[in-house]
Amino acid sequence: MISRQTSFALLLAGYGLVSAAVAQPWEFEQPLAVTEVQGEGIFHHLESSGRRNIAVAGDRVAISWEDNRHETPAIFLAHKSRQSDAFSQAVRISGEDEAYEPSLAALGEERFAIAWEQASRMHLRLSDGKQLGPVLKLDTRQAGQASLTARDNKLLLVYAAGDPKSRHRRIYLQQFETDGLTLHAGAPCKVDPEPLKQAQLYPSVTRLPERTLVAWEDRRHGHTVIMAAENRQPGSCRFDKPQRISEPLPGPRPPYGEGHGVTRVAMDSYDRDRVLAAWADKRDFREGYDIYASHYPAENDALFGPNQKVQDPFGGIAQQWHPSVAGGPSGELVVAWDDGRDDQTNVLLSWYTDGQWSDDLSVPGASGSAIQNHPSVTLDNQGHLHLAWVERDFVGGPTRLRYLFGKTTSADPE
Amino acid sequence: MRRILLLMLSVLFVPTAWADAPEGYTFHDFDKAMDQAREQNKTLFVYFGRYGCGYCEKTNKEAFSDNTIRQIYTDNYVLAYVDSESGKRLQLPSGERITEHEVGTRYNAFVTPVFTFMTPQGKPLKRLVGVQRIEDLLNAHEEVQAQTGNPS
Repeated sequence: MISRQTSFALLLAGYGLVSAAVAQPWEFEQPLAVTEVQGEGIFHHLESSGRRNIAVAGDRVAISWEDNRHETPAIFLAHKSRQSDAFSQAVRISGEDEAYEPSLAALGEERFAIAWEQASRMHLRLSDGKQLGPVLKLDTRQAGQASLTARDNKLLLVYAAGDPKSRHRRIYLQQFETDGLTLHAGAPCKVDPEPLKQAQLYPSVTRLPERTLVAWEDRRHGHTVIMAAENRQPGSCRFDKPQRISEPLPGPRPPYGEGHGVTRVAMDSYDRDRVLAAWADKRDFREGYDIYASHYPAENDALFGPNQKVQDPFGGIAQQWHPSVAGGPSGELVVAWDDGRDDQTNVLLSWYTDGQWSDDLSVPGASGSAIQNHPSVTLDNQGHLHLAWVERDFVGGPTRLRYLFGKTTSADPE
Repeated sequence: MRRILLLMLSVLFVPTAWADAPEGYTFHDFDKAMDQAREQNKTLFVYFGRYGCGYCEKTNKEAFSDNTIRQIYTDNYVLAYVDSESGKRLQLPSGERITEHEVGTRYNAFVTPVFTFMTPQGKPLKRLVGVQRIEDLLNAHEEVQAQTGNPS
């Protein structure tokens, strides 16, 4: 592994030399089409809050997305066994109204949960790969931006919904019990119960054995910052006071505006009881958004530790968007995003090892002449990498949905 | 009826706090502005901002407050405002539905403000990045008018 400092020192030595020296943790297979329904006028989107559009349950990998094949935007699910080289036919998950931003989670070894926005309400349903369960529609109004996670057969959903008192959106968390393919909703909890001054948006949730963490975009400071709150009593609605994750710029307050922009936090657990939150951050305004991250727990009283720049120095003046985070139980940790360096839009990865972020890897099969962006990444229990993303030949053109398997190169787990 | 109820509910809540366009101008959502630009065969002027954007505020106060600028930009362009961090949904002429955030990524609004003159079909003609002065906006207007065959 080449450290960030070392790679920066080698900047002038040439990108090829640096890249060649990096040992990749995954060997990538050929990409697969997720759905054959594509072509003129069809647009696939992987846009869930927290970028959770891919999940692995036991031997099956599933992907959920929105597309307009039937004109009205609708939610679809396709899956395959790990050995198969083709996905199942896409199954429509949502109803007749416009539906957006599905979030996907694996529930145990056999089931998947999907949550999405439809007609300004949260909808959920389960699938075991053969059948779909009934749709559960939540009561909360003006709701959207779903993000799911699951642990020990408990399903957790966070979303942004209208707050009648402030007329802004606030973040809610809701827990669900399951019985086969039937869902039973618990009561919605306000993650931050204080009166709202401004909107809370685009949440992400992670469940640890003894606690739950929620992160979101928050506008209370007059510009968007990333906030997080912790629940140390699973099953209750009691969250500690939220803390800011994204750091302010050092120095005096600027004469105009309130601060720099950040956007779209993604989060996942790793190494049993640790968490990484990653987001796009414009603290260096000349470079546009860069990918920043922060680890939980911090070494002091803070929830999350100091901010780290994930991307390597070669990403400097290029733009980075859409970070997705995946962690594994043995401490594996990877961030994927799309990146405009070298005048191309490719999916890049950086992985965390020995306390350093690796040099960036243009993912083979998810980089090249086509526009390849909006990644969603996950790691299975064995450390294999599963990646879904959107591909198109030109800006605004029709899209294709792609999947890639990366076999771990660490000691063969099988 | 159901759609009307949904519409009524949607105005009861502010889905998010949009960043501010300058006062005294009629800025439209990007998709509505594209429709209008096509109908009127006018050039689009798209303001990519964000909530809390300091350089947007500076440009609003120091350039867009000028009456000449207001007159020229109101008369000659269809004005659109995009909060490049927002999740507000738009429908493009292609039929694709995307958020304002995605419009920002598509037009490479990597800093704010970015001002992009576009054809009614959405093809960029000229970009202005960062804080703009009155003379910057005047010069850009003359350049775009010459480019589109409408010298002032």
